[in-house]
Parts: sequence; C-alpha cells; structure tokens
Amino acid sequence: MREPIKGLARLSSTATPWWRGSIDIMYETFEHTADLGLRIRAPDLDRLFDEAGQALFSAILEDPLSVKTSQQFEVRLGADSWENLLFDWLRELLYHFDGEHFVSGRFEAHVSDAGLTATVWGEPYDPDRHRLQHEVKAITYHALRVEHGDDGWLAEVIVDI
Amino acid sequence: MGKEGYHGPLEKVDECCWRIPKSYKPGMRVDGLIFTDERLLEQLKKDQAPEQVANVAFLPGIQHASLAMPDIHWGYGFCIGGVCATDPKEGGVISPGGVGYDINCGVRLARSNLFYRDVKPHLRTLVEELFRQVPTGAGKSGRYHFRDKELRQLLNDGSQALVERDLASPNDVEHTEAHGVLAGADPDAVSDRAQTRGANQCGTLGSGNHFLEVQVVDHVFDENAASVMGLEKDMVCVMIHSGSRGLGYQVCDDALAMLRKAPEKYGIDLPDRQLACAPVDSPEGQHYIAAMRAAANFAWCNRQLLLHQAREVFAKVFGRSWEELQMSLVYDVCHNIAKFEEHEIDGQRKRVWVHRKGATRAFPPGHPEIPAQYRKIGQPVIIPGDMGRASWVLVGQPGSMQKTFGTTCHGAGRAMSRTAAVKDAAGRRIDKELEARGVIARAQSLRGLAEEQPRAYKNVDEVVDVVHRAGLSHKVARMRPIGVIKG
Repeated sequence: MREPIKGLARLSSTATPWWRGSIDIMYETFEHTADLGLRIRAPDLDRLFDEAGQALFSAILEDPLSVKTSQQFEVRLGADSWENLLFDWLRELLYHFDGEHFVSGRFEAHVSDAGLTATVWGEPYDPDRHRLQHEVKAITYHALRVEHGDDGWLAEVIVDI
Repeated sequence: MGKEGYHGPLEKVDECCWRIPKSYKPGMRVDGLIFTDERLLEQLKKDQAPEQVANVAFLPGIQHASLAMPDIHWGYGFCIGGVCATDPKEGGVISPGGVGYDINCGVRLARSNLFYRDVKPHLRTLVEELFRQVPTGAGKSGRYHFRDKELRQLLNDGSQALVERDLASPNDVEHTEAHGVLAGADPDAVSDRAQTRGANQCGTLGSGNHFLEVQVVDHVFDENAASVMGLEKDMVCVMIHSGSRGLGYQVCDDALAMLRKAPEKYGIDLPDRQLACAPVDSPEGQHYIAAMRAAANFAWCNRQLLLHQAREVFAKVFGRSWEELQMSLVYDVCHNIAKFEEHEIDGQRKRVWVHRKGATRAFPPGHPEIPAQYRKIGQPVIIPGDMGRASWVLVGQPGSMQKTFGTTCHGAGRAMSRTAAVKDAAGRRIDKELEARGVIARAQSLRGLAEEQPRAYKNVDEVVDVVHRAGLSHKVARMRPIGVIKG
C-alpha cells in the first residue's frame, strides 16, 4: 500500500511543466482571484483522485502531516463525467470535514467508468493539533477540468474560500 | 487577478454608468449596465467580470438590464457586485449563482454611548477579550448548540426566534432587513448535511473576509441622517460581517448539484454552467427558494448571536450592561440574497426576483419596508471596507429604484489575490503596521492577516463615491477601524 506523500509541494502557477514522474510533486496550488486553485497531476485516475484529496487538505490544514490515519470511512459515487466525479469526491471529503469534523490524511480511490469507491483514513478534528489554514466554503465548477495527456492525467479545481 | 482582461464593448452612458449593448453576444436578452467611473474603469477591465455581466443577460425572464455595482469583480457565474431581476410571469428563473455560496452574507452596525477617548485606554483589553469570547476562524464551533427542533425554529423564524431567549431585543429585529426573517422558508428543504454543518456554527464569525471590528465615527457627511441613526463623530461602534456559515454553503452546493441537468430539462441555453438556474415556478426553483430563505434566516441568527457576544464583552470590559452602554443595532443588511420585490419596470408595477450578489438593498426615503425610525432618511446601508482604512454608512436614494432595483454597492472588492497579498506581506508584520496606524488586530494566523491586509483591497472611498454621485445611495458617515478580530 502506498505511503502518504511526504512533504507539501507548493509551486507557482507557471513554474511546473507537465508532470514528469516524480511522486513528490503531484499537486500544487495556484492563484485565483479571491480564491484558491488546486492543480493535480498523476499517472492514472486512481492516483489523481488520491492526490486531489491530499490537495484539498493541504488547503484546509497548515500541516497535512499532522493527521493521524487511525480511523477510516468508505465513499461510493456514481459518475457521469470525470469532472463531476472529481467534484463530488471533493465535496464529500469537505462535508466530512466541515459537517462531521473528520480530517482526512490518506486516500485510496478506485476509479472506473461506473464511478468511484474509496477508503479514506484520518481522525476526528483536534483544534490543538490541527492548525487550520483556510476555510474552504465549497468546491466550484469554475474552470473544473480532468484531462488525459501524453504523460498522464491533469485535474484543476478551484475552491471557494 | 483573473486570467485575462475584458475586451468587449463598454459604452459610456453618463459619468457613472457604462453599457454592454445586447448586440455584443447573440442570446443576450437585455443590455448590461455597469455603475463605475473613469477612475475605476481600467481596473474592472482587468478580469472577466464584464463578460459575466453579459452572460447574466442570457437568463430567461431578465428585466431591464443585467447590472453591476462599482465594486464589481469576478465571481462564480455571476460577478460579485451583480444585480439582476427576473419576472416569473415571463419564464423568469432563480439562480443560486446569483446569490452566492454564502447565502445572506451581510453586515450589521451597532452604536454605543462610548467615545474614542473612553475606549482608547482599554482598547487592547477589549480586542483581546473579543478575540477570546467570539469564535473566529475555520472549524470553530460556537457556544450555542441548537437541537433539531430549535434549529428548525431558527430556519423558520430567523432572528425573531432569538427574542424569546433574550438573545435579541425587539429593536434588533426591527432594525434588521426584512425584520430578520424571510417568509416561506422550509427547514425540510435544507438537507441533513447542511443542518449538520450549521448546527454548531451559529454565533461564529468564520474566516476569509469576515470580521468583527470596533470602529469610530471618523467623519459625518449628513448630520441629520447620522443623528436619526444615533451616530455622532468619535462615537465607538461595532461592525460585524458574516453570513450563513457552513449551512448556507451546503445549501448552495446542494442546489448546484440538483440543478446540473435543469438547464437542459427546461431548454435554457447558458453561456456558463455556473449560471445554473431553474424557472422560479419549477419544483427545482421552488426547492432552492425555500432552502435559500431558511439559510438567510440562519444567517440573521448568526449575526445576532455575534452581536450578543460582542455586547457581553463590552459589558464585561466597561462594567456596565449593554443596555446602559446603549449598544443598539443601527441596522443589518444582507448582500448575498434573492428576494421577491415589487418594482416599476418600463412603467409597469411588477413582482420580480431581485438577485443581489455582493450588492446591498438601498431603498429610498418613504419606502414601506424601511423601519419607521428611518423612513424619512432612507434605508441605512452598511458598507464594509478594509481593516486599515474605512467602512461607510449610507442611506438609500430614489435613484436606486429608478436604476438598480433598489440596490447599491457592498464593499471595496479585492485588488490582490490571496496568494499575491501573502507575497506582498513577506517580511512585514501586518499587525504591527496596523498598530502603528492605531488599529489593534487579532487573527487566528499571521497568514490570515496578510491575506486580508488593507492593500489587498481597493479603496472603498472610491467605490462609495460612485454610488453617491450616481444617486443610488447617499453618504452619511465614514467609519475608521480601531480594533479588528478575524478568523
């Protein structure tokens, strides 16, 4: 089973060429007016969705590595497009944080034409250990994209903060 | 800001208004009208907000024009500062994107009988105590917990539900837009998830641009109107900017998911999927309206509980009850809302759905929806600025009914992205800079302060100047911050 990503990659929006195979740099944030963009690159859709979960919690938490992966929950979603599936996946994770007060730190998603099944590991939010960085109000449809290129998959999503 | 600028047409109508003609794009049903001036014009062309004004003109049933206020900037689907009215009798639609994620985000102002000289020696204690007592920042739960039945009452009855609990006074309710409640709210239209997100967030400030500020009346422009509101120079006031918290965000989120297929179902051709909408009279439209009204009622409860907590802190610090400190609510306005209102359009009285997204109602003197105390001066309008410079108190003017469906601006608008603001603040301590200007600021993180630093915002004075000259609202008083708490 894959280990959680070590270290948080933060690059400017223009600094990174297409993803070239380093698993240490799989997501980044980019500027977007008053809000924040998440750009995720991965060799396959499963990893793309895993990293999208990591990217979301890198926006929410100052230190995503502060999350202990002691508890888990399952997610099942149907799909009519990759974009809508990514949107629904992230809004599910956001709800578990803001509604159920569960911080997530590790994701294992299986994505197919039928949809997504995933296991998410994390723990109850503890304000003493989990310093929050941004209040993510919602996932947005603006400029939402999931694309397959020569070197793998690319997703971009903007979160409202 | 924004990916690219706007290069479409902008025709000058007068000193304060520019037009995007409906000939710009096939599918526009009306013109776009942007209230601005020469000084702000160049700034607004830097992002795609004018394009969004044109896109809103596609909505079925839109009346008169797709409008934007001088604090216009890019938003999701609709621009921030956008106003549009739709007529259900002409197939008019309701659009969650025309309200925004933070349903009934708004501002309230309370006065006091304290003056700057009284508060200055205690300012640090006051701000520290406010920061301790008022929950700020992401993920914070409030001290108020409402069980299912109680939460339903808040969703149904708005801040009126707090009067019987001694958390609001009758005057607070009287001085709140719509008396703190939109009729027709349906708690059952608010999903379990939305209710769960909101259950323990009522009475919390939140994060981002939300704030609670201690302010001083810096300059009075209209002595009579200020006097009617109980404001005078150097008086200490409290301004609160917050909304419907996670409950409202989830209501919007649920609605956008519900409406994914609605444009196709109802044969509505949209240039941007984030304008997702449904006919007012459709089941989807009615469901969103009922949920949106409930979220708006929740937001009024939230701001009321924030004010209640601020009053308790003042009472503790100054050793007198809030009633003795005369901390009455001047007014509370919402700036993210859709309301069913009567307006005169092309010589006819019509009931229309007025969407105000980052725009504030500004009814003129004599309007029946204004509280009796203010009916002669016009509806008070509260405009938050940035934490270093100013905020404003205005009153609605007749021009707003003639030109903008009774609407004016809502704030300064960002001049820098959050990332750019943090970069700009590198090596600086924003709290120390503010202190040198006489402002004590506390936030959950230095990064949060950097994102919200004064330079990240446009100068609110310039925005207010346009709506004043355009006759939409009239300057009453300029407010200067002296204490700030933020998430």
